[in-house]
Formats: sequence, C-alpha cells, structure tokens
Amino acid sequence: MSADSETPASRVPDTPSAFEQYRIPLGLVVLVLFLRPVVSSDLLLGFEAIANRMLIIMLFVAAFNLLFGFTGLLSFGHAMFFGFGVYVPAIVVLNGLGGLAPGGSVTFFAGVALALLSVGVFSYLLALLIVGKGEIYFALLTLAVSQAIYFIALRDPWGLTGGSNGLTRGTLPEFVEQTRGQITIQAFGASVDWYWVVAVVFLLAMSGLWQVVRSPFGRTLIAIRDNEQLARAMGIDTTRYKVWSLTFSGLLSAMAGVLLEINNSGAAIENLGVLTSGDTVLMAVLGGINYFFGPITGAFTWLFVEDFLTDFEVWHIPTTELAIVSVDLGPALQFWQFFLGALFVVVVLTSPEEGIWGYVRTLGAGVKRRLEER
Amino acid sequence: MSDATPGVVGRTQRRLSALSPATGVGVALAVVLLGNAAVQETGLFIDQAIGGLVYGMILVMVSLGLALVLGLMGVVNFAHGALFMLGGYFTFTVMESYGLPFLGALVVAPLLVGVVGIAMEVVVLRRLYGSNPIIGLLATFGLTLMVEEAARFVWGASGLQPSKPGYLTGGTDLVVTQVGTYRLFTVFVSALSVVAVYYLITNTDFGLSVRAGVQDGEMTEFVGVNLPVRFTAMFFLGSVIAGLGGALRVVEFGVDPGTAEEFVILAFVVVVIGGVGSLFGSVVAGLLVGWAQFLVPVVLSSLAVVTGISALEIQGVGRLIPFLVMIVVLLVRPRGLFGEEGLLE
Repeated sequence: MSADSETPASRVPDTPSAFEQYRIPLGLVVLVLFLRPVVSSDLLLGFEAIANRMLIIMLFVAAFNLLFGFTGLLSFGHAMFFGFGVYVPAIVVLNGLGGLAPGGSVTFFAGVALALLSVGVFSYLLALLIVGKGEIYFALLTLAVSQAIYFIALRDPWGLTGGSNGLTRGTLPEFVEQTRGQITIQAFGASVDWYWVVAVVFLLAMSGLWQVVRSPFGRTLIAIRDNEQLARAMGIDTTRYKVWSLTFSGLLSAMAGVLLEINNSGAAIENLGVLTSGDTVLMAVLGGINYFFGPITGAFTWLFVEDFLTDFEVWHIPTTELAIVSVDLGPALQFWQFFLGALFVVVVLTSPEEGIWGYVRTLGAGVKRRLEER
Repeated sequence: MSDATPGVVGRTQRRLSALSPATGVGVALAVVLLGNAAVQETGLFIDQAIGGLVYGMILVMVSLGLALVLGLMGVVNFAHGALFMLGGYFTFTVMESYGLPFLGALVVAPLLVGVVGIAMEVVVLRRLYGSNPIIGLLATFGLTLMVEEAARFVWGASGLQPSKPGYLTGGTDLVVTQVGTYRLFTVFVSALSVVAVYYLITNTDFGLSVRAGVQDGEMTEFVGVNLPVRFTAMFFLGSVIAGLGGALRVVEFGVDPGTAEEFVILAFVVVVIGGVGSLFGSVVAGLLVGWAQFLVPVVLSSLAVVTGISALEIQGVGRLIPFLVMIVVLLVRPRGLFGEEGLLE
C-alpha cells in the first residue's frame, strides 16, 4: 500500500488511471467470478442456485435504479416491466407463435424479441403520458398501472396467463435442460452451466447500463435529478430524457425478467405483484441509490439475509464446536423482514441516498486516509 | 328572463350551459347504463349498490386519515393501511382473547390503533414534515413492512375473523330486497364517524388552528398554538378512524397481513381521485370507487343482455375499476375532482 501511495511527480493527477477508469466493469467481473463460490460455501448459504437468482435480481434492481437513483423518478410499479419479460416468452414458448412450434428454441428467441419490443413500446408510451406529473403522482400512477396489469393477468385473459396459478408447464425451450434443480444450457453440442449464461447476460446488460450512466445522456439524467429547473433552463428537454430513461429501465427490467423465466421455469403471478415492486424499491434504497454498485449491494443484502436468516436456527457463541452460549433465534429470525424494514427506515431517515454502499465507501475512504497518513 | 337574479330555471340553464358537452354526454350515458341495469336486474342492482356503499364507506374511513395527513402535513403515509389492518387484528384479540362484547371492541380497538399511530408519528413521521414527499413515502413503506411482519409474528399468516354478535347477524327487510343488518350497521357507524371528523376539522377551533398551522406554521406558533401537539392529535384522529374502519370490516370479511397493502393502495386511489387536500373530495371519491367497483360488473352484464354481445360480460372486472378510474382522472385532471391546483404536482 505504501508503495502505491508514492505517486511519481511527473504523473498528471487529473487524468484517471486505467484502473480508475474501468473499475466498475472490473468490479462487475470480480463480482460474477466470486459470487457463486462465496455464497455456496458451507459457512454461508451452502447451495448454488441462489447465486443465479441474485444476479438476476441485481440486474432488475439496477435497471430500476437507472430511473430512481439517476433520474429521480420513483416507480412503485416496476414489477410490470419485469413481468412482461417473465410472461411474454413463457406465453410464446407455451403456445407457439405464428408458424413457430411451441417449445422450440427459435420460438423462445422470438418470444424474447416480442417481450423486449412490447416493453419498449409500452414503457415509451406510458412514459409519454406520465413523466410530467410530479414525483408523487408518478409513483402513484406507476403503482396504479402495475396493479391494473396485475389484475388483468390474474383474470387469465384468453387462457394465456394462467391466472393465479401462473405458467409452470411447457414454458422452457428445448435448449434448457433441468436435472434435479440444476439448469444447463445445451447449445451446439456443448453443455454450459446456467450460472455462466446468466453471468454473461448480466455482464453485458450491466456494462450497457454503465455506458448509459457515464455517457452525456446519463450525466444529463443526473443533472435533471439534482436540479430539474436548472437543467431545463440550460436548454435540456427534460421530458424527453425522462421518457428515454424510463424506456431503457423498462427494457433492462424485462431482460432480467426473461432470465427469471428460465431460472424459475415459468411465470408466477407474484412476479407482477405489488410486493415485487416494493422489494425493488427497498433493495435499491437499502443499497444506496446514488451509486452504481448500490442496487447490487442492496439486492445482495436482501436476498442473502432472506436465505441466511430463515435457515438460521441456533446461534452458537463463539463457534458451533466450542459453543459457550447457544441462543435459539429461529422463531424470531423467521420474521427477518421486520429487521430489514427497521434498517430501511433508519437508512431513509438518516441518509436516504447513501445506503449500505455509501457507508462502505465512507469506511473505505477512511481506512485509505489512515493508511496514507502513516 | 330580464330579472337581475335569475329564477331556478335560469340558473339551471346557465349551469348546464357552463358544463362541457363531454360531461353532459358522460352523465347521460351513465344514467342510461345504470337505469338499464336497474331495470334488468333490480334485485341484484340494489344488492350491489348497498354492497358498494358499505365498501365505499370503509374506503372513506381509510382515506380520510390519509387525506388528513397528506393535506395537512404533506406526508404520503403508506403506513396508513397498516393502521387499518391493526384495527382488525386488535378487534379480533379484544373480542376472542379478552371476551369483550363487539360494541366494546369497537371502542377499544380503534383507541389502541390510535396509540400505535401516536408512536409512529412521534418516532418517525415527525421527522418527515416539510421534507421531500418521496422520503416520507419510502420511510412509511418501511414502517408498513415492519408492522406487517410484526402482525405475522403475533397473529400468524392466515386470515382471522371474530364471530359476529347475534343481534347483527340477520337480515333487514327493505321493500325490494333483504339486506344484512350488519351492513346497515357498518354504514351507520361509518357515516356517523365521518361526519364527526368532518365537523371537527371544518367547524371547531381545534380544526381551525390545525389548518392555520398548515398555512403558516411559524405565525401560528407565535400566536400561541402548540403545533406539534396538534399534529400528533390529528394523526391520532386519522389512526382512530382507520382503526374503526378495520374493526368494522374484520367482523364481516376477516383480516390477514395482506390487508395493509391492499387498502392503502385503494386509499391512495381514493385520495388522488378526490383531490389531494380536500376531505370532501375523499368522501365523494371513496363512495364513487365503492360503487364503481360493485356496479360496473352489473351494468356490463345487463348491457350484455340488452345488446346480445356476451363479450361485454367480463368476469372479475370490478377490482380493475379503481385503478382505471384513477389513471383516467390523473391524466385528464391531475388535481383530482375537488383538489387544489399545484399541490404536490
């Protein structure tokens, strides 16, 4: 560490190093490489499938945060975009599309294309209608629209959505193989673990998001978030930027939805429900909406705590083998949402934009300063 | 007419001409559709109308507290549905575990909810006055999660329903149809409480001082009004009515942890339709939403009978209606039916 801090005098301090410039994609790669081995180790959760779900939800929350954290628009109904991605491919694979046979690989990709197209058009039109309505009204309108979609799906129109049962059978394309909960993808004679497919899509989508955020477009969104009137006075067409932000966010959410469709082998009505939207908001705020890694941290914390605490029965101090005190926390920890809710309220009341990642960053900066001082 | 003050006919004419043709057509269409339904299926129509009234009154009771807090303190209180839910659970516990009679529970449970409301206001909501409404929405959303989880811990995840008292079980014979006595009781109690709250806010010194505090807090405090205490009292009042609504509903429909979210969303819908800042608007919109939810299916099915198009008879369309109405109202008239312009926009 001390060697690094001795910067050569010739270096211009203003141009960031390659590491500085690309630390976000690097961080993403590190995350993808280490997430599964770490969470599936026996000390932590002990099973692998959770890592797939974590990556998918991280992508979804990050897509949500493009709208909330970077544009300042709180959507309380983001599950509808997610639900498009879950339902449309499932419906297409189940019923076929035009001349394409049900269950075929081509049918699936046609379904994905249809899902992304419909989400793009839907979110663009929705955005045109509602982005100008003021923060609270925007939140309530998204909530109302998503509830309307939820009830439509619940009604099972033309037998497409399966109502409250969702779609569980015949919704996977041929190239997906499932054996005892493990999903593998069979393509061109090779067999690939599902985790790595999710990881590649995750990396592509997240680097796309990163490019959007650091582009002039993304910087403009931040300007709108920080001071909309000033942005407008500078000649920015704020409505247009907000519309495109919502559209991008909807598209990325639908992509996460497509991944979840394969991961859960079907569509569930809960994917469209208000709880899915609410959890998204919670995860983003808990993680820290101002940072690129905030939603990732939030989603990780939420899902990790969910699985860790619900399996957690007895707390041995200091370790299981050398237990001096054993506390049975099982009955209380089953209600883990209570404690996360409390943490959430504290985060919102003290520093609503920083979250856990902001705290980690402050801590890291403090440690670095200490080290440099020595 | 040449009179300076026009007569009844003249005034009506003027008022009608001030309406836009679209409104006229809409009202005429509604009258025709409702009339058609009333003629086609009279019994069902009246049943549904009373069902809608009961539901609407419950919605009014939840929305009133929400509208009070939103209009007066500018906090979007997502946790209001949780208070409604607690009203139901407290009624159950007070009746089943402590053996209190129903009428006693109807007094005790709302007061307990009021105490929870005070705790909520003092610990969390007080810090949110005057801050960004989004922060308030988020914080109270977290509170809802906590209360729901606590309720799941105490009362379990499945639905609970106390037994209905004997004297309210039967039916009351109205001329054309029979109506459950309990429903009439619900309408009576809720109408009474809504009128009482409305009177308190609009016609008493207490209500006046609170409204003054909202307009200019600093000046009102100079005059000697203890504003934080007034706001807490206001929140207590809102919580008590929500709790009473929950207590009235639990006996007929039961309560489960999902109740909180279901009703707070509907209450938002009602407040937005009625117009933020208008209590009267919330009352009207609550009844409208209740009726719309119950009468639209009847109207559609009788229309299907008349026109012979069976596709009009959509099953389960009722739960969709409030959201559709809200979307239309917000797009056409963002401030709601009776709202002040520019509030939270």
